[in-house]
Amino acid sequence: MGNSETFEEKTPFAKLLRVVQAFFVKHHYILSKIAMSIVTMLLTMVMIFFLLRMIPGDPVYQYAIGIQQQRRITFEEAYKVAVQMLHYDPNENILRAFLRYFSGLIQGDLGHSIIETNVSANSLIRTRLPWTLFLSSCALFISFFVGITVGGYVAQHRKGLANKAASVYIALSGSIPDYLMALLLVINLAYKYKLFPAQYNYDAFSVTPGFNLPFIRDVLWHGCLPILAYSLVNTGNWIMQMRGSCIGVLGEDYILAAKARGLSSRTIRSRYMKKNALLPLVTSLGMAFGGLFGGAVLMESIFNYPGLGLEISGRILSKDYMVVQGLIFFSGFMVILVNLLVEMIYPWIDPRVRRE
Amino acid sequence: MIKRITSNVQLTVGLMIMAMFVLVTFVGPIIFPYDPNPVVTEIYLPNSLAHPFGTDWMGRDVFRQMIGGAGSVFQIAFYAAVITVLVGSTLGILSGYAGGKIDKIIMAVTNIFLSVPAFPVYLVLASIMTLESPLAIAVVVSAWSWAGLCRAIRVQVLSLKERDFIQICKVMRMGTGHIIFKELMPNILSYIIINFVIAMRSAILASVGIMLVGLASYDPTNWGAIVSAARGRGLINPMNVRILLYPLTAIVIFQVAALLVVNGLDELLNPRLKVM
Amino acid sequence: MDAIVRFQNVHIDYPLKKYTLHAVSDVSIDIARGKITALVGESGSGKTTLSSALIRCISEPGVIASGEILFCGKDEEPIHVEKLTEKELQSFRWKRVSMVFQAAQSALNPVMTVKEQFLETMEEHGDTSPAAQKENRCKELLEYVKLDPDRILKAYPHELSGGMKQRVMIAFSLLLDPDLIILDEPTTALDVITQSYIFSILKEINREKGISMLIMTHDISIVAKFADYVGVMYGGKLMEFGAVRDVFKKRRHPYTEGLIGATPSIIHDISAIKPIEGTPPDIMNLPEGCVFWPRCVYFEERCRQQEPDTVVYPDGSKCKCLLEGR
Repeated sequence: MGNSETFEEKTPFAKLLRVVQAFFVKHHYILSKIAMSIVTMLLTMVMIFFLLRMIPGDPVYQYAIGIQQQRRITFEEAYKVAVQMLHYDPNENILRAFLRYFSGLIQGDLGHSIIETNVSANSLIRTRLPWTLFLSSCALFISFFVGITVGGYVAQHRKGLANKAASVYIALSGSIPDYLMALLLVINLAYKYKLFPAQYNYDAFSVTPGFNLPFIRDVLWHGCLPILAYSLVNTGNWIMQMRGSCIGVLGEDYILAAKARGLSSRTIRSRYMKKNALLPLVTSLGMAFGGLFGGAVLMESIFNYPGLGLEISGRILSKDYMVVQGLIFFSGFMVILVNLLVEMIYPWIDPRVRRE
Repeated sequence: MIKRITSNVQLTVGLMIMAMFVLVTFVGPIIFPYDPNPVVTEIYLPNSLAHPFGTDWMGRDVFRQMIGGAGSVFQIAFYAAVITVLVGSTLGILSGYAGGKIDKIIMAVTNIFLSVPAFPVYLVLASIMTLESPLAIAVVVSAWSWAGLCRAIRVQVLSLKERDFIQICKVMRMGTGHIIFKELMPNILSYIIINFVIAMRSAILASVGIMLVGLASYDPTNWGAIVSAARGRGLINPMNVRILLYPLTAIVIFQVAALLVVNGLDELLNPRLKVM
Repeated sequence: MDAIVRFQNVHIDYPLKKYTLHAVSDVSIDIARGKITALVGESGSGKTTLSSALIRCISEPGVIASGEILFCGKDEEPIHVEKLTEKELQSFRWKRVSMVFQAAQSALNPVMTVKEQFLETMEEHGDTSPAAQKENRCKELLEYVKLDPDRILKAYPHELSGGMKQRVMIAFSLLLDPDLIILDEPTTALDVITQSYIFSILKEINREKGISMLIMTHDISIVAKFADYVGVMYGGKLMEFGAVRDVFKKRRHPYTEGLIGATPSIIHDISAIKPIEGTPPDIMNLPEGCVFWPRCVYFEERCRQQEPDTVVYPDGSKCKCLLEGR
């Protein structure tokens, strides 16, 4: 009797187990990538947590003093509130402190400012990230498309003058740091010839933020120099990658075979060379895009552009570390997430890694 | 060997420029000692024979400042490259050669370093530690840079490990030490040398970047500190712009030279069939 | 002999930085219509270079330095292949002469399906028939090489085995009904069973469709079984040429003799094999006189001083040796 009951119960369970097992076997590749990303994220949390403990002084103490003055409560109570808010208590033993910090992050709370009240890493990301993403993704896509076009062209005309010019450009742009390019542009185009505004994201005196034409125009206007600086520096890298990839592909047998089949050089260029040469660049593009979420610290500080990068450097200088760790964690998190996405999308692009 | 180096134009030019920088670093301060005291009568002087790069807002000679600062710039670069290459290649070889659990652990750690953006972390480290020596800055700017090298070397080792000559060594039961130092190392040495120069390049950019933000300027003659100070004075003033351009130009020249060396070494040490 | 292709005094050079490399020098050879002609020789003997010159697909930076390559279609003026413009070449290639590459394993674009590549080639050659008709044509050809068309057409190259890819390439080469197919080592890297299978398919194509074939190989036993004519190349020069029976029986050139003597046979004692002494010639540094003298067992002093002329025999064979009739 009892036996048959457990048997009855077991059958659907066994069925479920089989389904789960089949699911794991089928999606082994993606699941292992996801697991790996989760491990990396957890380890990143651990590392940032230890970085936090290296900080001299007691951030919770400072924060508590602020709360005490604001709310007029005893210091002990204020300290408790501070620990709650910051998800961090340096007086606890290390394991419990980590668990507290960890639960904070899991709840999506990246950390509060200990200098300004009502400012948190979350609120900063909300207000600053759009600016950072606007600049850097515009620049990334401009430099990517210019880079692959030029790179593909010079790979086919390796003996030409264009290739020599491209080599010089690659060497120079690889040697000029982005902040120097930014400084040069600011000095020349903004201060000397006054062609573009030197700093800020828009002119707060003349336009009102919102979905209106003057505002959008002003934002684009202010974005010109930073985007130009970014693109000038990064295009060289894309040209180099695309040229190298194309030269590799041009040496492949299927290019010669396509020529032997009497295909036009236009078809060979677009469907044979470019399509194959772009595959490895997709991964690079994904990684570059993931890297954008941290903001470009120096670029933004030179243009005084209120993106995440400027925020990070400013908060480090004012020693507002609780926010800084949140912002750094966020950008690391985004790198991992975007890379994971790229790896999941990649089989769609390259049939060779497609799994049944 | 020397003939092979001189026949490579990129490498020769690059090495000559780098040698000039080294010469200036060691001999320069003896010939042109720098006087950090302000000279009120000589503020913002234009270029002249006495002051080839003019003077700054406190009347100090920019040319001598730069020569004085070269030492700290290249010390940082050198130490950082040594640390990066030592840590990166040791862990890379270990990870690739040992495989298994060790490989998994090292790769997991490397992944963190590759995901978390480097520069903000440099800034945090620079602000919570008091950096007062080139070595300390070098430690900071190599804290993150080893990870990329580690992963690249691991890939090299992994592919070498499958090659016949290493397999034969294993079959012949040669010692691990012998295989790593006598068989593996010669094959990745050229890669490590090239990455040493690359690490120097990025260490200079990172250290100057940190100083540009206003951190770690322990030595006011370091080129990064000169740039930062000039920028702090305001770029509206063309005199400050002029001062700032000298160290930046020097940095770019060094970067180009180092890149030439990298490309030249790559051609010399990793010869591929180059028709034409 | 009714020739479909005539190579006349063809020289193919690779101009390099410091010197010029003569990959093929002064080769004259006729490819018989409707027959199978084989070119044998070691790697670097110039056979691939010569045959890819026929569709002007010599790997960079090789050029046809001098000589004529005539393509003689039925009832039409001979085409001077070396003078074709890029535009004319595009329609000449594959439509008149197609090629199965030595590297057939990697001759397909890895990011396109077999079907896409077949259709693309038909479209680029101006085939405007409806898609279904084109697809039927592809299926017919794949069935002809004994493949399952429905599976193959939607597959990507990496999903096929080596032998399958080879057969796909053979089907591909038939796509536009060419007059001549060049087969560059069509069975290297394949196992023996697949090899003989592919040769039986090729023989069938030759017999049923009357398509001429030019096949490159270094396997002399394939030549014996499969070809009608054979040319022997060494160091970029044509050493001997003739009908297979004549060449094998008379063995006029010492190199040919060496090649045949170096071929193992299942039924004979393996110790009877006599490999050719020495190493293949260094194409950058060819010897004076006859290119083969350093390895020739009949070597005489005059071989070193004088380059032999090509002698034409009454049976149509050619031989390039001073010691003819030794």
